[in-house]
This record gives sequence, structure tokens and C-alpha cells, in this order.
Amino acid sequence: MKPDDVATAIMNSLVQGGSQWLIATIVAFLPVLWTMSLMLHLGRPYVLRTLRRCGLRLGADIWWMSYLLMRDALLLLTFGLSWFFFEPNIVASMALPITGSLAAMFLLLSLAVKLSRRVDDDVRAYRLSTLFLVIGATLYYGPLVFAVEATSQGYLSGFGQAFTSNSNPTVALVLMWISLAGVGLVAAWLFVRALMSANRSMGRRLKKEQEATGVISGAAGGGE
Amino acid sequence: MNVDTLTHAIVQGINSGAEQFLEGTLAAVLPVIWLALLGLHLGRPYILDMIDRFTLRLGADLLWLIYIALRDILIISGVIMSFMFLFPDVVSTDQLPLTGGFAAVMLFAVLLIKLMGDPDHNLRDFRLVTWLLGIGALFYFIPYLFGVMLNQVATGQILTISNFLVSNTNANWAVAIGYITTALFAVMGAIAVGYVLMTGGRAEAPETTSK
Repeated sequence: MKPDDVATAIMNSLVQGGSQWLIATIVAFLPVLWTMSLMLHLGRPYVLRTLRRCGLRLGADIWWMSYLLMRDALLLLTFGLSWFFFEPNIVASMALPITGSLAAMFLLLSLAVKLSRRVDDDVRAYRLSTLFLVIGATLYYGPLVFAVEATSQGYLSGFGQAFTSNSNPTVALVLMWISLAGVGLVAAWLFVRALMSANRSMGRRLKKEQEATGVISGAAGGGE
Repeated sequence: MNVDTLTHAIVQGINSGAEQFLEGTLAAVLPVIWLALLGLHLGRPYILDMIDRFTLRLGADLLWLIYIALRDILIISGVIMSFMFLFPDVVSTDQLPLTGGFAAVMLFAVLLIKLMGDPDHNLRDFRLVTWLLGIGALFYFIPYLFGVMLNQVATGQILTISNFLVSNTNANWAVAIGYITTALFAVMGAIAVGYVLMTGGRAEAPETTSK
């Protein structure tokens, strides 16, 4: 092998290895985000208990605001980083939990409940959001612990093969397309909802402004 | 060997090396997290003493909120970083403390008590949390100190004990402990979810101070 070949090999490795390493790091970081999101979501009673004991409104507001920001930003970030599960090339070539895409879809459903209903005031909505989140987390953790991270365990090889995306690419891709369709539907519903809500609230404001202008011009006309 | 084979070998090396480096870094940071969270938990009387000296309510509130936020985030970080103890491949490849998974279970139990009880105002809960943290610290530090950090200088019988306490030289036990840890995590997680679904996310624990 000539020095040029070695140089080419190192260059290719840096490009391919760097990209694989980046994806692998994000995938390895996802359990952290999932766990943190779950803990913050489930820890709401504890946060509320602490909030009640604040002597001043300012302290309570800062506490609640920090909690909400962290909790919801983490959910959004987890969904954003789960986008790898919707990229066919990566799903078919890298060892990922086979139900990762479904987990991301359930995470989006949980977010959609938060966006469409007042989860922090409505107990039913909170329960629904919790259920979606727990189902998503279970779909993520199960294959991760017992398939992707258990290749050294011979007795789990069957499970490992079935639940790792690159050893069972057909099922992985089918699940991915189903989840992608689900994500598309939820996103479209959120889009239409946001548009209608904006139309409604802006329409109401415009109507009020028009009425106010009418009253003023009427009053001005009467004055003349 | 051709260019493709060499490329593949280098890529494998980069990925495996980076993964082991990341896990090794997490394992090295965990003792610091354990020490910091123990210090903050045991330093509660000092914080309370300081709060009493504040002349402004805002300062007292902020100090208390920052204290509990730091303390609890460290506990959550401890649980999250201990997730590697659940992965069979990781425990059988890397040098980790054998009972690190049990230490994580103790931390998770602490979080569960904080969720369902009131350790900051209920003495029984506080004692329980303190015991769990103490036992968890033992589960982490004994195999870390006498296993992971001693096996290069130990000889004879001590080396045998030291190797027993390290996950990759006692892979069968490490994997079994990993499964037990996973089961305990699942059970406690299910309890937490059940509690939150039942209460609808409201603070249902009795308010001990208001009585």
C-alpha cells in the first residue's frame, strides 16, 4: 500500500467516521434526554409542593418558569434529535432501536397534547400527555437496553436481531414510514390548528378595532 | 489490505475508542457527582441556618430554591449518567464499579420518595433519603475504590477481590446486576407513573408544615 492510499484511507475515515461518530453520540445522548424529560414531567407534584412553600410570588414564579422552560425545551430537543430515526439510510445502516421512530412519534403526540390543551390545568390532558410520553420512552428503552446494547449476550441474540434497525432493516423501514406518516398527520393537524386559532384571535381583535373606530367616527360625526 | 479495509478499520477504531472514552469520562465524573450530592444533602442544616439569618424574604427564598434545584439536579444527573450500568455490552467491556447499578437504584428510590413523600419537611422521609444516599454511596465507592482504582497495584488475594469488584473482569455478575437494576428501575418507574396518573400531576402529599 502506497502513502497516497493510506492518506486516502485516513481522509475517508475522518469523513465517514466523523459523521458516524456524530450520529452515534447523538443516539447515545438520547436516553439521557428521554430520562430527563420523563423525570421532569413526572416530577411535577414535587415541583408544585416546593412552589407552594415559596414565601414570595417572585421566587415561585422564577421556580415555575425555570421548570416549565426546562421540561418543555427538553421535550422539543428530544424530538428534534430523534429526527435520525426518520432517515432511511441511517436507519438501515446503523444499529438503532427499531422502535425509535415510533417513540419519536409518541413524543410528538405528547407535545401536541401540550400545544392543544392546557396540560398544567387540565388533569385529563396531563394524564394523556404522560401516557404518550411513557409509551414512547418504553418503545425507546426496551430495544436499546436488550437489543442495541446487548450484542455480547448470546441468549439475547434473537431479540437483538429482531429489534436492531440494521439487522432487521425491512421491519425498521416499515415502522419508520408508518411513524413518519403519523408525524406528518400530527404536524399537519398542529399547523391547521395554529392557523385557525390565529385567524380567530386576529379576527376578534380586528372586529374590536373596527367597532372602536366606528364608535369614534360616529362620535366625531355626531359632534359635527 | 486495501484502502477500504483500512478505512473501515480506522472508522471502527474511532467509534469504539470514542464510545469507550465517553463512558470512561462518565464513570470518572460520577464519583464527583456522588460527593457533591452527598455534600449538598448533608449540608441541609447549614443552609437552613443561613436562611434564618436573612433579613429579606426574597434572598431566603432564592437561596433555598437554588439549593434544592442544585441538589435535585445532581441526583437526576447521577441517575441519568448511571444508565450505562443497564447496558450489558458496556458493563462487560468497560472497567466500571460492579455495584454501580445498585447505587443508581438507590438514587432513583430517593427521587421516588421526593415525588411521593416530603423529605424536606417530614423527618421519616428525610431519614429514609439519607439512608438510601448513604447505602448508594457505599455501593458506588467501595467497588470504585477497591476495584477499578486498585487492580493495577493490587497483588495476590487482594487482586482477586479487586477483579471481582470490576465489571469487565466479572462480567457474569455485572450483567446479572444490570438486569436486576433494569427490573428495579422498571418497577419504580411504573410506581412513579402510577402515582402521577392517579394524582394527575398535582401535589397530593400531605403538607406537613401547614398543620
